[in-house]
Parts: sequence; structure tokens; C-alpha cells
Amino acid sequence: MKNKPFIPQSSEFLYHLLKGNRKMCSTIAKNYLAKNPSIKDLYEVVFKEALYEVGRLWEANKITVATEHLATAITEGILNELYGELDIPEKSTHKVVLACVDGESHQVGVKMVADVFEMNGWESYFLGTGIPITELIKFIHQKEPTVVAISLSIFFNYKNLVKMIAVLKSEFPNLTIIVGGQGFLHRKEGSFEKVDDIKYISGLYELETYLKLW
Amino acid sequence: MVMTKSELLETAQLLIQPGKAMAEEYASKRELLVNLLNKKMLERLDLDEMVGENNVEMMKDNHANHARFLESVFYSYNPEVLVDTVLWVFRAYRSRNFRSTYWAAQLNAWVEIYKENLSEDCYKEVYPFYNWMQINIPSFTALAEEAMEDPISTH
Repeated sequence: MKNKPFIPQSSEFLYHLLKGNRKMCSTIAKNYLAKNPSIKDLYEVVFKEALYEVGRLWEANKITVATEHLATAITEGILNELYGELDIPEKSTHKVVLACVDGESHQVGVKMVADVFEMNGWESYFLGTGIPITELIKFIHQKEPTVVAISLSIFFNYKNLVKMIAVLKSEFPNLTIIVGGQGFLHRKEGSFEKVDDIKYISGLYELETYLKLW
Repeated sequence: MVMTKSELLETAQLLIQPGKAMAEEYASKRELLVNLLNKKMLERLDLDEMVGENNVEMMKDNHANHARFLESVFYSYNPEVLVDTVLWVFRAYRSRNFRSTYWAAQLNAWVEIYKENLSEDCYKEVYPFYNWMQINIPSFTALAEEAMEDPISTH
């Protein structure tokens, strides 16, 4: 398995993640932002790369499941910590509801997506994992969002995604649905034909471009 | 013959996604199939030798995930997803001391259980995927071994 070159901040962040040192991870994130005040870069270049490497280390049995969970929990904690420092403009009338596909246990990626919506003036409602479809429907009726964003991290939940979208489309025919996540790693035109009428967003930079269209 | 990843992909592209009714049948029987597979594998006297010490629960997780994954594959087939996921599984389980004999035993057991529990039509459409995985065990094993030799950053 060939690994991508690792940037220093991501490597340092990873090192402290694996040590379970939340304070150092937080300091690294803040120092990064002091030099480059782009939350998107921090998320994409430091957090995402470090967490992907955590996944690779688990795969190679270099770390335990517990360490993997610890790394994710620390990163989520830092996202919460940095929320206060996000440059959030005045809210527009746009609202987004964000959730994971039924069966998913990974929510850190879609949490980053929620922050990018916020930074673009959207009112965001991050529901994370484990939200039953009936509850999601009730929530959508209540909040009347412009967009629903669904995250798929693992391909074996793909069938659940297709079902989820069918239910949402039937209940809310005019609702805009966007999807993303590592489960779409191999997405090619036509290969996920069952969700082709749904907008796929490959990452935070593409999301930002997409949001400028609204 | 041991194949490269791109050669595996070429052969995977020849597999045909099962029809919707077949995918639905597989989905409706998935939990039963997993239970039957676990039972069959747990009866084996050479189990510890194949999966390594204290790995039985991990093996059961693999069986449940395998069936969930194949259910999605039968619902929306993408050859790259299949090849990459099988490779990932071989690497992850190899690094936890699962032997290559486990894959042969597991895949043979799935096929036997499918033969007895799926309709003839469903079996005919599902079997080629298993035949493909069985034939390619040596290639997946070799690629997983290669990955083990390739250092991963541990800092």
C-alpha cells in the first residue's frame, strides 16, 4: 500500500491524536489557523488526512479500535471547540439538515460539512448518526430545510442510502438532497445510477463552490 | 496465476449485477445466511488455526459485514468497489493473523449455504461473485502480503 506524502501539520496532529493528547491537538489546530485562517484547509489538509491515516493504521493492526475511536472523539471535540472561532456571516434564509445514512457510525466528516454550511450563512441542523427515517421526516417537516445532506462512509450502507433517498423523495418531492462521504470513493458517472438525480459533493472545497450557487 | 490489482479489476468488470428480485431475495435472507455461516464455521475443529487466537468474534463481525457489503453490491454493482473492498478486507484480517485458508473455507461455506437456502435463480446470479472471489484468493493474498511489507507511518 503506497501512502501519500504527509504534510507536517497533519503528521504532528496524527502523532498527538494517537497519543490521546487532546490539548496538543487543539494547540496544533489553533497554530495552523493562526498561520492560515482557513477552516476548510484545516479540515481537509490536517484533520481529514490524519483521520484517513488512522483508518490505514487500524487496517494494518498498528492501532486498536479504542485508539481509532479516541482519535475520532478528539477531532470531534476540537471541531466543537473551534466552532466559536468560525467566521459566520449573517444567516440567510437557507437551512440544511445533515444526517448519516442508517447504519453509519462515522459522523465527523459530515460535522465538518455542517460547519462549512454555517460559514456560508446557512442555518445548519446536524443530526449525526442513528436518526431513524421517521424522525428525520418529522424534523424536515418542522424545519423546512432547503437542502438535506446525507453522509455515506461505508459502502455496505449503500442500499440504506438508496432506500432513504426514495422515502425522502416521496415525502418531499421538491427537496434538494446532496450526498457525500468516503462511501463514494469510487464514484464515476453512471456507476451509482440509482442516486444520479442527487447531487454528489466530493469534499469541502466543492461544497463551497456549490453553496455559492445559492 | 497471481494477478495485479488492475487485472483483478478487468475480471471483476465481467461480473453481472443480479436482478432486483434476486438482490431482494438475498437481502431478505441475509441474517439467516449469516447465522448459518457462523454455525458452520464454528463447527470446524481447525477454526483457531485459520482465524488466529481470540479472533472468533472478529470473524463473526466479518461474516455480518460481508453479507451487508454483498447485499449492497448486488443492489448496485461497482467493480472498483468490489476489488478495493476485498483487498481491504484481506489486508485488515491478514494483519490480525487470519490465514489464507480461512478465506477458502469461508467462501466455500457461503456457497454451500446459498445452494441450500437461496432459490435456484438467485443462486445462479450470486454464485459468479463467489466463484470470482474463490479463484482470486491467491491474488488477494499476495497483494495483501505485499501491503504488509510496505511500511505504514507509525510515528
